[in-house]
Amino acid sequence: MAQKRRTKGPGPSQGEDLAADEDFAPTPSASQVQRSLERLSPAQVDQKVSELVQYLLVKDQKKIPIKRADILKNVIKDYRSVYSEIIKRAGRTLQQVFGLQLVEIDPKHHIYILVSNLPRLEVENLKQDDCTAKLGLLTVILSFLFMKGNAAKESAVWEMLRRLRVDPGVRHEVFGDVKKLVTEEFVRQKYLEYNRIPHTDPPEFEFQWGARAAKETSKMQILRFVAKIQNKDPRAWSTQYTEAAAEEAAGGDLFQDISTPGDTGGASQGARRRTR
Amino acid sequence: MADAGGSGGDSLQARGPDSGRRQPFASTSRNGAVPEHQQRRLAGGQGRQRPPEAASDGEEEESEEEPGQGPGVRAEPDGNHTDRRMLRHQYRQLINRVQQNREDMLSSKSNSLTDALQEANKLFSGVSQAREAALDAQFLVLASNLGKEKANELHSEMTVFDSPAFAEDLLTFMGLNRLEGEENDSDDESIASGFLPNNAWHKLGAEAERYFRRSPSFHYMLGSFKADPPVPRQRIERQKRKAGTEEKRAMPAQLKKMEESHEETTEKEVERILGLLQTYFNDDPNIPISFFDFVIDPSSFARTVENIFHVSFIIRDGFARIKLDQDKLPVIEPSREEEGRENDQNAQVRNQAVISLSHQDWKDIVETFEITEPMIPPPGVSQENES
Repeated sequence: MAQKRRTKGPGPSQGEDLAADEDFAPTPSASQVQRSLERLSPAQVDQKVSELVQYLLVKDQKKIPIKRADILKNVIKDYRSVYSEIIKRAGRTLQQVFGLQLVEIDPKHHIYILVSNLPRLEVENLKQDDCTAKLGLLTVILSFLFMKGNAAKESAVWEMLRRLRVDPGVRHEVFGDVKKLVTEEFVRQKYLEYNRIPHTDPPEFEFQWGARAAKETSKMQILRFVAKIQNKDPRAWSTQYTEAAAEEAAGGDLFQDISTPGDTGGASQGARRRTR
Repeated sequence: MADAGGSGGDSLQARGPDSGRRQPFASTSRNGAVPEHQQRRLAGGQGRQRPPEAASDGEEEESEEEPGQGPGVRAEPDGNHTDRRMLRHQYRQLINRVQQNREDMLSSKSNSLTDALQEANKLFSGVSQAREAALDAQFLVLASNLGKEKANELHSEMTVFDSPAFAEDLLTFMGLNRLEGEENDSDDESIASGFLPNNAWHKLGAEAERYFRRSPSFHYMLGSFKADPPVPRQRIERQKRKAGTEEKRAMPAQLKKMEESHEETTEKEVERILGLLQTYFNDDPNIPISFFDFVIDPSSFARTVENIFHVSFIIRDGFARIKLDQDKLPVIEPSREEEGRENDQNAQVRNQAVISLSHQDWKDIVETFEITEPMIPPPGVSQENES
């Protein structure tokens, strides 16, 4: 089912997004989708929804954001006309069955991630693996970035990490090639952004929060993390606190109802209130 | 026109040694002043040859003048070539200086960025052509980026975040066992001393998890069936991995075989060929053997190349010589045994040559020389001739 590449309309127009060369035509209207739906049997559509749910769960294992183009190519295939309906239902299933939220972190390029909607368990024996350690490292970086004004030069970040015995030139026991981990893996997962500072020679780069980090955590949460580590009140850093509070107020942030991790009562209420 | 020029002139003077925030204004007004400037030049019509060294003085004078009064202009709109080259040189110097002293420019205690901008502004009044204007634009971009960075640094100083203290606290949290009584070397104070346990980062990560809403990685509890994977993607991944491991297993087996025979074969072959050569020569002592006749195997190009390879060892060790005969064709003959190997190596003049033989060459030679049988039988054949 070859479709002509169209650059107008809401379809992706960036080259890198069209890994499959099948483009998505301008989004069909709701009524068009309805009509297409009627032509298909409910069983067929349900089948596609299930497939999509499984696809998303598996693709999420490595935490690399999922592209709509891949979804269309690998799962939806001939059912393009009802894509919006399928994805809507898949999102609902993920929420109701797994407590996971399907979030579009890039509305322009249509890239999705899965985020948990459930309150954290305060249980000690949760599985700890490489991912856990990497998350520790990531959190340190995110904290540093936020507390330093949302961006920092690469050199500053490494300087801070060296104090923790993490050096980009040295193979780390736990992380291996740290430079690769930080500048490639975290960036691909959209936890960090790694941008070139213009007019620097030799080229220098700076780090910022990535889209996934913005969805999976928040400024207030990271501030609380820092506060916990340093045994202080988050308000001790007034500028950062103000900024974090503003983000909470503005975003209708999904962390809002969880005041501290540990406040499970309020959190579960919050979770229930959030689901549609 | 005069008004606009006037505002341009005012803002030039207004820029003082204060923060970089003024700079964007200055630049836009300067840009605004460009057409005005040009117009003044062309309209003025006064020729005033300014010697290049005094150019900056001349510029200063002009910028403080009230615009509208007879400004200094170049006679020809094109400008003097030397002047222009000088101007471009000055611009490049300025750009270089700013790039080299980046840290100084960024420091909130120094006004060097403002000074650089003022200097560029002076240079700009000498600009009349696109080429120099492009350099000016380049400098402007550089300066404004620095200005932005400088402004950013101002901002983040408001509530200072003590990152060394944060690092120390992190290490404590991770369970750093600071050895008691050990003095911290003042040279190395950035790295804390002590023993960091293996699960340090896992411990930190576990705490960090609480501040994230990560979706748990989905894995089938009992693994997936090979035959019927649930999702196409997974199937592809597994197939690729399987192919990879099989390939790996195949390779060592192959390598092993080669390695066993590698070293011995070359030496054995060389000896065998030398023996053959001597045998042939003994049959006809005075006739050197045509090189091609000797090495070429009409049925296999690869074998021919191997033969040449082995023969080259013989030549290197001095057991044989290659010469050109009267027809300029290469011939090979063993060297006399009395001369002794060591002598040959030291006394004999050694020349090096590179023989290149393409597949087509090989075919042509087989045809031309009418070679039907290899003089060097392949190693598999029974080797009665071995000495």
